[in-house]
Amino acid sequence: MVEVNEQALTAAGPVAGSTANRNERLGEEHYLRIDSVRKEFDGFVAVDNVSLSIRRGEIFALLGASGCGKSTLLRMLAGFEQASAGTVELDGVVLNGVPPYQRPVNMMFQSYALFPHMTVEQNVAFGLKQDGLPKDAIRDKVARMLSLVHMESMARRKPHQLSGGQQQRVALARSLAKSPKLLLLDEPMGALDKKLRGEMQLEVVNIIERLGVTCVMVTHDQEEAMTMAHRIAIMDAGRIRQVGTPDEIYEQPANRFTAEFIGSVNLVEGKIDEDQKDYITIRAPILAHAIYVGHGVTGYEGQDVVLALRPEKLVVSKEEPAQPYNKTRGVIEDIAYFGSHSVYHVRLPGGERLMANSANAQRWAADRFTWEDSIWLSWDDQAGVVLTS
Amino acid sequence: MRPAFSKWLPGARWAVIVIPFAWLLLFFAIPFAITLKISFASAAIAMPPYTDLLSWDGDKLSVHLNIGNYLFLLRDSLYVNAYLSSLKIALVSTLICLVIGYPMAYAISRMEPATRNIALMLVVLPSWTSFLIRIYAWIGILKGNGLVNNFLQWLGLIDQPLEMLHTPFAVYIGIVYAYLPFMILPLYSNMVKLDRRLEEAAYDLGAKPWRVFVSITLPLTKAGIIAGSMLVLIPVVGEFVIPELLGGPSTLMIGKVLWDEFFNNRDWPVAAAVSTVMLLLLVVPITLFHHFQAKELERQLS
Repeated sequence: MVEVNEQALTAAGPVAGSTANRNERLGEEHYLRIDSVRKEFDGFVAVDNVSLSIRRGEIFALLGASGCGKSTLLRMLAGFEQASAGTVELDGVVLNGVPPYQRPVNMMFQSYALFPHMTVEQNVAFGLKQDGLPKDAIRDKVARMLSLVHMESMARRKPHQLSGGQQQRVALARSLAKSPKLLLLDEPMGALDKKLRGEMQLEVVNIIERLGVTCVMVTHDQEEAMTMAHRIAIMDAGRIRQVGTPDEIYEQPANRFTAEFIGSVNLVEGKIDEDQKDYITIRAPILAHAIYVGHGVTGYEGQDVVLALRPEKLVVSKEEPAQPYNKTRGVIEDIAYFGSHSVYHVRLPGGERLMANSANAQRWAADRFTWEDSIWLSWDDQAGVVLTS
Repeated sequence: MRPAFSKWLPGARWAVIVIPFAWLLLFFAIPFAITLKISFASAAIAMPPYTDLLSWDGDKLSVHLNIGNYLFLLRDSLYVNAYLSSLKIALVSTLICLVIGYPMAYAISRMEPATRNIALMLVVLPSWTSFLIRIYAWIGILKGNGLVNNFLQWLGLIDQPLEMLHTPFAVYIGIVYAYLPFMILPLYSNMVKLDRRLEEAAYDLGAKPWRVFVSITLPLTKAGIIAGSMLVLIPVVGEFVIPELLGGPSTLMIGKVLWDEFFNNRDWPVAAAVSTVMLLLLVVPITLFHHFQAKELERQLS
């Protein structure tokens, strides 16, 4: 990961780099096992044959557009919905048929669902009271949870007297108070404004990691998933399309859907021209020069493929690059200025368009490109991902 | 545009406030003042059948306030008993309405929007017929050779018809039947706003269904319970038609006493005193209700 795209830079940056060493600390596989789970509502299949296995201490995100089945899957883990088929197993215990109040699973609800008639303290104590713990134990635990989320001074307030961020802290404390084996987060940052979101994402992750709780979260916000989760499952129409770490999902999309869903991407359709052990070349109708991919691909000559090229992997230059492949001529049609970088929309001779990012490393650079400039786009032989599905 | 509009605004605001106040003054405050005036007069065989409070004797203006009517209410146990019995009947029927109406309102509020509207319609639908006719219908159902008795005899469960009409039982049936919608509707409008996720959150935190009801659902629907109870309790205390048609000689209710005083005894001052005291009795729960509502509103806004 040499160059970084807008999402990766602002969101995944601080976490994605440490993904590898964080994964080493995680426990055994199959702490939470979701096996061929299916959920139908009146003939509509909301969750279609989903299998996942999540490790102890892992933060796992279900990412997808609304209606993709991610919330239904989460509600099945909480026990609010019963799976039509398949099993859910947590720490060796099958959860199918266990009512929500008997599961060692707690959930932080979207927009928190704090009890409005109870104080912060009473909200956090609610779950502990249901277990019939002695009063002193409850008081100690509540105090510890509130100090964990820095809300000690607000203990006597009612939820409506708190700001959005404070309400979220209380909701987190409430869902962690019973030390659940599995924590569920439903759109955890959905109700916060953008600025607060960034701060809270890292803070929530820090708290969850400090306690070592296994966590499944649901979100439609890819930045949120990439910032918070160790691994992400991309869901679409009730199915899992890809599971991987944030950088795997971004840099190694398994299919066209994932490539288009995460970040922005140029998709170039073509046919495999030459299929060798350590490289392939692709002939794309929209490009005058061949595409050269510097690694082997399981495929055959003449196969239809799509090359996924992230915009930040494209280099914009005035002069024609020396390499004989992976380049095209174009004209800058539009420029979107984002401050940290600009996105150039480049029109190819045949009329097709490609996007290229360029970091604005210098203030007021004199040689910056402008509209209708005739330029060259090029990329190196490892920049693209060859997709066959 | 704006200055002209805001110049016009105070007038409009004034009118918006004045219309309901004028309504209340005309149809509530003035009639009550007249009733209050009559309650301090003495009965007389005249037209109207009571004495004037003010008399003009040469150059002397005298005011005669007869508090005898109120003392009479205290002295004659009939009135005290009627008040107590009315309150008891009202409280018991409110409680029955609550017990029946609460689960109904809850079930309706949890239905799909389309079915929910049909269910609400069914709750309101009976009120489209005349109140009087519906109460008369209960006579046909409850009387000695009415629907219920005939059915039970046909089943062979009883030999002799049960005596249901003209008993307190019939009065409770009539009141609960007639006032149930007034309990269900405010409860429903309160429950439909209840965030279902709050109950789910309680389940999620380990509360069993009964605990969820007691510690989440019930406290959060308190406003609806109070509103519904007041809408049933207050009119039932003064209810006249139902005890008159369905009740027997043993059902003593203040509405019936008032009617007798006014039309049979033609004692307007005592009748006026009876209704004034009834109003004062009802002022207590109404005030409590408003006090609670104001507090609730304050809590929501602060």
